[in-house]
Order: sequence, then C-alpha cells, then structure tokens
Amino acid sequence: MVYTRKDVSTLTRSERRRLVNALLELKRRGEYDEFVRMHIEYYTPDGEGGLRAAHMAPSFLPWHRKFLLDLENALRRVDESVTLPYWDWTRNRTRTAVPWTDDLLGGTGRRSDRQVMSGPFAHRNGKWTIRVGVTDTKFLTRELGRPRDPIALPVAKDLEGALNDPVYDAAPWHSGSTKGFRNKIEGWGPGRGPASWRTHNRVHRWVGGHMMGGASVNDPVFWMHHAFVDLLWLRWQRRHRGARYLPAKPLARGDAQRGRVVARNQKMPPWDVTPAQLEDQSHIYRYA
Amino acid sequence: MRRRVLWGLFASAFSVALAPVLVASGTSPRASGAVGNGPGPAGDGERFDETYRGRRIAGVRYDAGRPGEDGRSAWHVTVDGRPLHLMRRADGSWMSMVDHYQSYATPLAAARAAVDELGPDARLVTPGEGDSRMEDSRTANGNGHAEGEHRRGVHA
Repeated sequence: MVYTRKDVSTLTRSERRRLVNALLELKRRGEYDEFVRMHIEYYTPDGEGGLRAAHMAPSFLPWHRKFLLDLENALRRVDESVTLPYWDWTRNRTRTAVPWTDDLLGGTGRRSDRQVMSGPFAHRNGKWTIRVGVTDTKFLTRELGRPRDPIALPVAKDLEGALNDPVYDAAPWHSGSTKGFRNKIEGWGPGRGPASWRTHNRVHRWVGGHMMGGASVNDPVFWMHHAFVDLLWLRWQRRHRGARYLPAKPLARGDAQRGRVVARNQKMPPWDVTPAQLEDQSHIYRYA
Repeated sequence: MRRRVLWGLFASAFSVALAPVLVASGTSPRASGAVGNGPGPAGDGERFDETYRGRRIAGVRYDAGRPGEDGRSAWHVTVDGRPLHLMRRADGSWMSMVDHYQSYATPLAAARAAVDELGPDARLVTPGEGDSRMEDSRTANGNGHAEGEHRRGVHA
C-alpha cells in the first residue's frame, strides 16, 4: 500500500498531533537518539580519508532517502497513519510560518541562549531532552533566519539551476563538484561566507542552533527539510527521464575518489542497499 | 614521535588553559611555558591561543611532516580546554562538528565560528568524560559497520 507524504502546511490538526506524538514516543523509547548518533557518525567530509556515504558525495541523496525511510518506518510502528511531511522552504519562508507553530515544531530560540521555548520540543515541556550531541546543551536550540546577521532561505529560482542540470553528479564527486544535480542541491558553493551556502546547506544555516552541527537530527525539522530535498530528487528525475545515479561503476584505478564514493550498484553503508535500489521508491511512497 | 611529543606539550597547555586567572584576564593570554615559548601571533600557522567572545581558543598543529602523509596538516584545537574536532574539506578548508554545513579557511577561523555557534553557555563535550561520549557504533537499524567510526566528542 503506497502511502503519501504531504506538504506540512496541509496537515490537519489531527495529523499534526499524531506526527508529534509519534516523534515524542520514539524519543521516549530511545530510538530517536540512535538516528542522531548515526548521522554524526556518517558525517565524513571529503578532505578526510575513507568512504563517504552521507555527505559531500554522490550518495548524499540515496543515503538520506534510506535514513528517512528508516525513521518513517519507526514512526509508523508507533502510529501507522503517520508519514513524514515535507517543508517546502521556498513557500513557507518566515519565522512564524509552518512548521514553526506550537502544534508542530514550536518557534525559534530565545535570544540569550537560543533555547526553543515553545511547542512540543521545548525542553521545558519535559519530553525533548538532547542526549546525543557535540555539546552539553540539554535543550533544543534554533536561531531562525539568524537575526544577528540575517540570511534568507533559498527561493524557487535557486532550485532551477539544479533541477535543470541533466547530469546527476560529476567529477570530482565531492563538495567541489561544479556540475551535477547532487552538489547543486547539497549546496557546497565555491568561496566562503553567505554566498557559498546554497540550497540544502543554506536551510541548515537558516534554522541555526542544532541544525548547524553534526547533531542536526536533534531538531525534528531535519526530517521535513530532507523530505523536501528527497522530493526535489524526484522532480529532477521526472524532468530528466532516464537520467540515473552516477557514478554508474566504481571509479577507475588511479582516480583519487576510488573507494571513497559509492557507485550505483555498490552497497551503501550501513545498509545492505545500493543507490540503484533506492532510485525508484514509487512502490512505497508518493508525494502530494 | 613528534606527534607524541606535541600531544604532551599540549597537555601542559591544557592545564594552563583551565587556570581561571588567565581566562578571567580578558586579554588574549598565550600559554606561558611549554607551548608559549616564543609563539608567533595567533594563527601563525603552527599554533594559536586567544580569547574570543570570552572563550579561550587554542590550537596546535601536530602532524606537519609526519612520514607517509601527504603533507597536509592536522590540528588539535580546544575551546575552554575542551577538544574541538576539526575536519578537512577537499579544498583544504576546515569545519567543526559544531558548525557542520560550512567551512573556513583556517583552523582559527573554524574555531571562532564554533564559538559563535556555541553561544554563551554551551560547552563542548569531552570524549571519555563520564558517560559523555558515543559509547559504540550502534546504528539506527542495529547493524554494526566498519566505515565512519569516528569516536568524537559526543555525549550520549
């Protein structure tokens, strides 16, 4: 039975409540923190040695697709009516828009320490203590829009360049790739500073707080953000019929990235699954 | 060997970094003694040590010229005496676990950016401090795996 992932701004009151309750239940059971831990472990940047599966690599998209499916399956074991909604940040662009409402994710952090004070994920409401992180902070933090030095979310026009690129990914297959849909969506631009933060990366920056770090999964908006990124991959596939994940085969001997990126039919750690097997998920879920 | 020596030196600097009198001075204290023996200005390419927004940030380049390496440097950086894990991007820039979706030209810039993100109260978690670490490599679906097992300063 194919289920539907919806735009978070279209969820009914009941759907919002059930989603929030399922997230809180995973947190209570300790399952949620395993996802936080896993994301931290797999953040290997491209200047370090070893295989990169999750970031700065072609498998950025399928890795997160599988990561989302695992979380969604866990949510659906709690409540089978729940699916992951997506946050279209090209449409819901303000600090008070969905999903920053008290019946979903709550609002931005307070000025002094960026602590989220409202909604179900505010520490003071007793159900969302940060246990896996790179700091000792126990409460969720956000800094929506970074008021001290404001930045804006990407706009639809920013996505067009990525969606129009007919190639999935290209050498050098890392954060320096200037061609290909993957890095244009992941968002590693050249240079330093705000102009270099694009698309996916820029959204992490816009939310701020926990979303800036390796422990970004602590903020449940992580899933809604990545569900939208996942939808963008699907839109790209529809725009370029027949275009596939690249590299198709393991890179040649002598290529600096050989053994460091996952080819189309290679298994993607930690799972027993290949990018090819994740390219089409229309038998599992669709987007509304 | 050089690495071990420098780590030893660093341990000395570590204790100095914890001295409240230095932190409270509000200046840019440079560790006297082992590391402070004639360092250049902060960010001179070998070490830095300064107070930034009330936080003591210090870094030591520790593997320059290590045999078998490609010559790229690695740094041991602390914020208020607690290790800040820095990583490289392919373009040679630096990023930290605190500020993970952008990178910086130097370790010092990455350390300052980490302080910006830490805010006024948060402290980095020191590996091995009580239960404040990632205990094992369990994953969301329970599989063990070989790749990416970086034991970082993660509290769990």
